[in-house]
Amino acid sequence: MAPVVGIVANPVSARDIRRVVANATSLQIADRANILLRVLAALHACGIRDVLMMPENGGIRAHVERGMMRARSRGEDIYPALHTVSMPVTGTVADTHRATAEMRRAGVSALVVLGGDGTHRAVAAECGTVPIAGISTGTNNAFPEHREPTITGLATGLAVTGRVPPHIAFAANKRIDVSLASGTTGATVSEMALVDVALVTERYIGARALWRTENFRELYVTFADPEVIGMSAIAGLLEPVGRDESGGLMVRLSPDGASRKGITTLNAPIAPGMMARVGVTDWRRMPAGVAFVPEVTAGSVALDGERELSFSERDRLSLTLRDDAFRTVNVAAVMRHAGQNRLLTGTPVPVTAAF
Amino acid sequence: MAQNPFPLGKDELLKAYRTMRTIREFEERLHVDFAKGDIPGFVHLYAGEEACATGIMMHLNDNDRIASTHRGHGHCIAKGVDVHAMMAEIYGRSTGACRGKGGSMHIADLSKGMMGANGILGAGAPLICGAALAAKVRGDRGVGITFVGDGASNQGTFLESLNLAAVWNLPVVFVVENNGYAESTAMEWAVSCDSYVDRATGFGMPGVTVDGTDFFAVYEAAGEIIRRARDGGGPALLECNMVRFYGHFEGDAQTYRAKGELEAIRASRDCLTILSERVVEAGVIGRDELQAIDREVNALIEDATRAAKAAPLPAPEDLLRDVYVAY
Repeated sequence: MAPVVGIVANPVSARDIRRVVANATSLQIADRANILLRVLAALHACGIRDVLMMPENGGIRAHVERGMMRARSRGEDIYPALHTVSMPVTGTVADTHRATAEMRRAGVSALVVLGGDGTHRAVAAECGTVPIAGISTGTNNAFPEHREPTITGLATGLAVTGRVPPHIAFAANKRIDVSLASGTTGATVSEMALVDVALVTERYIGARALWRTENFRELYVTFADPEVIGMSAIAGLLEPVGRDESGGLMVRLSPDGASRKGITTLNAPIAPGMMARVGVTDWRRMPAGVAFVPEVTAGSVALDGERELSFSERDRLSLTLRDDAFRTVNVAAVMRHAGQNRLLTGTPVPVTAAF
Repeated sequence: MAQNPFPLGKDELLKAYRTMRTIREFEERLHVDFAKGDIPGFVHLYAGEEACATGIMMHLNDNDRIASTHRGHGHCIAKGVDVHAMMAEIYGRSTGACRGKGGSMHIADLSKGMMGANGILGAGAPLICGAALAAKVRGDRGVGITFVGDGASNQGTFLESLNLAAVWNLPVVFVVENNGYAESTAMEWAVSCDSYVDRATGFGMPGVTVDGTDFFAVYEAAGEIIRRARDGGGPALLECNMVRFYGHFEGDAQTYRAKGELEAIRASRDCLTILSERVVEAGVIGRDELQAIDREVNALIEDATRAAKAAPLPAPEDLLRDVYVAY
């Protein structure tokens, strides 16, 4: 039996305040469904006959089913059968956690994820060793690479059907584990980030997004990529660190910018279309497995660009980077291997991949 | 007292709490008195949705205009309309905000920039476009906010207004108060596009979705959107996902809700509880200070109700007064 691929498509990513404070993308639901149809056609072309999808009430599945129905009425057999995980829909991140766990238990070979860094983080928290193939439909999008989804679907199909050796098909990824021990209740909250943990002085969660650079204090990244936007860009423009290197980077930031000696002022793309000056006092490598205790004693912890936890002087916060924390489909490597070994010769290429 | 970590000072936080508590008590009182048969007409209660009106209205002044809905008591109170005049209006008394002839769905106070609750679904949107155009022509930095429910967002008037506001770059904020139900019809059965942000994008303006039960989420997002509109940056849409604690109207048996749904949202999504827990936990406001406000608000609502019941009905000769205007 052909492998089954899981799909997590988040209908509520890309809806935050960055559409107003910056010119961030508003990817419409119909566009997300269209992306999914392209992925499904590519998976089918690789021999995948069944996919398992997270249920949602945002409309993505309805649009996808309409596209599949139209293909059937034209007599085309270009999509795998679509099954839905049987679970209640809450419209919150809990859906992503639960669906991912259910799909892992059902034995899916890979998880195609449509969403921003937040959606990918939620999947990574539950996916175990199941590899993720990420497609960016969010705002900050440092984690999923920007690429035509048909290619992501093809690479996933080739990888899970065993036509590309696993050591080429899959890549290891880093994460930062965040531990917050409450000084009042003694309880510990554990969270994690795929790309960045930012400590900011605002101690309320509010509209979640980060854009007020004067409140940025400390930044921890798993990779520092000058080609992405958001917090990782700040680190990437100081000292690039690759996704495949061990360890990450920590950066100390200052609200004073250019006004004080010993401070580097950096002009960085902190949100889509939003260049901002940030004062940098210090940066250093963050080795894997070493717990970092921040200097900042009160504020909020932003995970992958969104404020998630607030902490005070009474609480104890520590951050530890982990190498090899979860796997992704290495789309570039798979497609290179496919070309070098002519894997798609004789394989029907999807001709109708949109509705 | 601990350092204040919030984007508002202590006085403003207390004001926000007082506003939300006043709305809650006002609605709870109406819920009881309507059931007794004391109140004429229909009432639609805003209980559960207080964070939305309050988080938005904290950014407005009397020069800014709002156009409300059939569920307008919360908007009125947050915009500063006098609670005694509101209660008297709902009781149909001559001391009411509209001299007792409007009732719950027509409370207005232009001196506060409150252009009226509105019994016609989606009718506030064109009104606010007019008010915003006036502010733009006058150049007085005024903004207009219109509220619409998820149901009325399907009205042509609302969609036409999105278009007009975008074309004329009006200082308007369209607030979709999405409580999940158009009367008794769940949103997924009745709204063709699946996200209000998609709808805004289709008209060429940004849209933002926030948790409408989180006062700070509404306050922060509304602040940015209103500042943008005030500065000439044009219209935007703000979707607040929220919950209503009572039926569509008083007397609604709510058979369309899942078993246990109301109990669950009251337990976990009460915006007043969420706000009070946050400010108390942060050590910025003491629980006793909130309780003192609760007592004052109770006394205010009690007095407003007593005064409304004691006030005279409008006289027959007042029937046509304020109905027609000569230009």
